[in-house]
Amino acid sequence: MPFREINSKMVEATVVPGQKMYSQRGAMLAYRGEVSFTPNIQGGQGGLMSMIGRRVAGEATPLMTVEGSGTVMFGHGGHHIQVINLAGDTLYVEADRLLAFDGTLQQGTMFMGSQGGVMGMVRGQVSGQGLFTTTLQGHGAVAVMAHGGVIELPIVPGRDVHVDPQAYVAHHGDVRNKLSTALGWRDMVGRGSGEAFQLELSGSGAVYVQASEEKL
Amino acid sequence: MFRLQGSRTLAVDLAGDAVKAKNGSMVAYDGRMTFKKMTGGGDGLRGMVTRRLTGEQMSVMEVTGQGTCYFADRASEISLVSLHGDKLHVEASNLLCTDSGLRTGTTFTGLRGGASGNGLFTTTVEGTGQVAIMSDGSAVALRVSAQYPLFVDPGAYIAHQGNLQQHFQSGVNFRTLIGEGSGESFQIRFEGEGVVYVQPSERNTIGGDV
Amino acid sequence: MSTPVVFDPMTLPSDDNVNSYTFCVELKGSQWFLQKGKMIAYYGRIDFNGIGHGRFERLIRTSFHSPLHASDWVVAEGSGKMLLADRAFDVNSYDLDEGNLTIRSGNLLAYQPTLALKQSIVPGFLTLIGTGKFVAASNGPVVFMEPPLRVDPQALVGWADCPSPCHHYDHGYMTGVLGGLRSLTGIGGTSGEEHQFEFVGAGTVLLQSTEVLMAEQPTGAVPGQPGVPPGAGQPGATPRMPGQLGDLQRRFGL
Repeated sequence: MPFREINSKMVEATVVPGQKMYSQRGAMLAYRGEVSFTPNIQGGQGGLMSMIGRRVAGEATPLMTVEGSGTVMFGHGGHHIQVINLAGDTLYVEADRLLAFDGTLQQGTMFMGSQGGVMGMVRGQVSGQGLFTTTLQGHGAVAVMAHGGVIELPIVPGRDVHVDPQAYVAHHGDVRNKLSTALGWRDMVGRGSGEAFQLELSGSGAVYVQASEEKL
Repeated sequence: MFRLQGSRTLAVDLAGDAVKAKNGSMVAYDGRMTFKKMTGGGDGLRGMVTRRLTGEQMSVMEVTGQGTCYFADRASEISLVSLHGDKLHVEASNLLCTDSGLRTGTTFTGLRGGASGNGLFTTTVEGTGQVAIMSDGSAVALRVSAQYPLFVDPGAYIAHQGNLQQHFQSGVNFRTLIGEGSGESFQIRFEGEGVVYVQPSERNTIGGDV
Repeated sequence: MSTPVVFDPMTLPSDDNVNSYTFCVELKGSQWFLQKGKMIAYYGRIDFNGIGHGRFERLIRTSFHSPLHASDWVVAEGSGKMLLADRAFDVNSYDLDEGNLTIRSGNLLAYQPTLALKQSIVPGFLTLIGTGKFVAASNGPVVFMEPPLRVDPQALVGWADCPSPCHHYDHGYMTGVLGGLRSLTGIGGTSGEEHQFEFVGAGTVLLQSTEVLMAEQPTGAVPGQPGVPPGAGQPGATPRMPGQLGDLQRRFGL
């Protein structure tokens, strides 16, 4: 596990030669040893095409590569940090919530429309966070930021979880998502408003929800 | 029925019953929930008119259902207060959720808001049940008794309960050597028997300057 | 945690934290320097007086050496317990024993007059010297680290006992082939980590958990003399609050 939680808003990562790490630009607070921070010209893995893809998709995460040997402290914007460990599964997370993650994780961009059909497409617009979501897959750790800390809600078959798209942080597992409206919800928030929808997650896995409706 | 998940998320288990919560504060739920907008804080037409007049806007929703509903608002810290037939005074913006059996209303609290521009009227919650109040940073509950009156910065005040009288006083002497002041500052003096809740942060007021 | 503990003057801690965001100071006929607007509640008989108040002339001569922001401070004296807090930031107290600690000006909330407050030679920072206690806020909990260490300038809260920091630039980035390409084309941008404060020697470095700064407090101008580094937080740098006279007020604060 490369991340050590120093407190609720700061994590420490150990960087060893030959093992890359990615982090959001400007999120380094301090470091010890010989560590270099290089802006990520190709936006992670996948080469230039992927970067252009990201630009188009509006998912241009300003990442930097962290390499060398030493320890690095990360934190950003006073946000709470949640470390999520992946053991071969896929984490779906909005790109701007990524603080830092293992370089060994396979990075991808997923068109949310491919899950949940047309409604999934709308979801991107609803949450204002683009139609594309970053996926991270493999074995390793991810540090995710949230406003006010997160709670982890398990998703089990037969017990769907509904989430306010504004408070949604990330999810993992075998989960399907679609937009739904609870009874009375639309009348309350008004039809015109984007918040008229809730994100309905079903299957098995877990969703991370932050204690705020504020986007990062 | 009310429990905290972490310090900033309120989880409410519902089994067909209802709670009143700040509009839009639902962040997630499982099971089935229905939402109903309540105008005027559930006090009927009279309450609504009072609210219009007093400017103490509180938009409330009623949530009914089966399952668990999670509430949070702008990463505020949440404290639970149990009422046993007594009355809680709370700034409308600091009220997150109440048992539906509790009555909510508005009272005039006197001069406190006179200079601070906030809280001329506060929301009252009365009855038996649980209330979730929120604060910017964890709230501190301070006891007021006959021998220990309490002085509070108006911007840090969030709620109080018990038999308390409040007085508005100018507390601080900013007079400088050449007689130029940098504005007066005001405090609320609480006397009687009860508990006052303060937050470790100050809303912008013209008053509290210490 | 859910239902808050109810405190009274007997159960409130003395010169200690009530929670992460609130600090309780006990006054027993003693005095504390306090930044304006940081007291949220108090029990007992406590008077608050502007620092320009004539009675404090002697106190200020020994403990307060940052004259140009005198009007941002008050002296609390009397008997009782008062609660200090700052916009729900984390607060902590620090004890100095014949020591010195330099802190970002906006982070300092209160200190005992047994300490002397001086402007640091590093712009925007204040130095506390002597023996006593002070209370400071930080954006997220403070983390203590030992040099050698390089710190993002915005994440630095202060340092104690070690030499003042120097600037460190990532020259690999500035001069490399890739760097040249970047500066030519603008593709790739900067990592935002090309510049740090470097600490060496023995001491302690205080770090906050975020690179978002708290509002700066002006530390006052320094005399424009040869050999004196220019100060930060010059008049006009902070937005003027209603009812304040800005730098005029500051100038006449004493």
